[in-house]
Amino acid sequence: MSNQLREYVPFRGPHDPCPPIGVKTYVVPPNQFITFQPMNLPQFPLPEALRAGTLWPALFSPYESKWRKEASR
Amino acid sequence: MSATLDDQYYSSLLELQQLDFALVELTLYLDTHPTDMQALQQFNQLAQQRQQSAQSFELRYGPLLQFGHSYSKFPWQWAQSPWPWQV
Repeated sequence: MSNQLREYVPFRGPHDPCPPIGVKTYVVPPNQFITFQPMNLPQFPLPEALRAGTLWPALFSPYESKWRKEASR
Repeated sequence: MSATLDDQYYSSLLELQQLDFALVELTLYLDTHPTDMQALQQFNQLAQQRQQSAQSFELRYGPLLQFGHSYSKFPWQWAQSPWPWQV
């Protein structure tokens, strides 16, 4: 799976008393690149599908917290 | 009176949840792919499996649905704990 996380650097004014976070990130989920879902895509086993939030690995978009790295379940 | 919640209760509830989720996914998929025979077969198979799971769950732990969609043993089981938020 290609990396779904993108970054951009917001403008920082030299006199801004409360400057924005240096590098902001956003997620582009894979459904943005699938215009029409092909038939017979491989599937997750059902228990995993419930955890992943989708039945198809091709549409899986993980969420990882940047602040708390522990236990990504 | 309340039913005892053993491991079996939670594992069959989880199984039902997994089946329901797959059925939701397949429902949405079939809305846009009504001619996908394989997915349709999978949907019907899972629907049947869900029916069987729900039936054995209800036999053991009481009704899942109300207003005639589930059976109840004597005495009336619907009002008995555990309530969904107590599980």
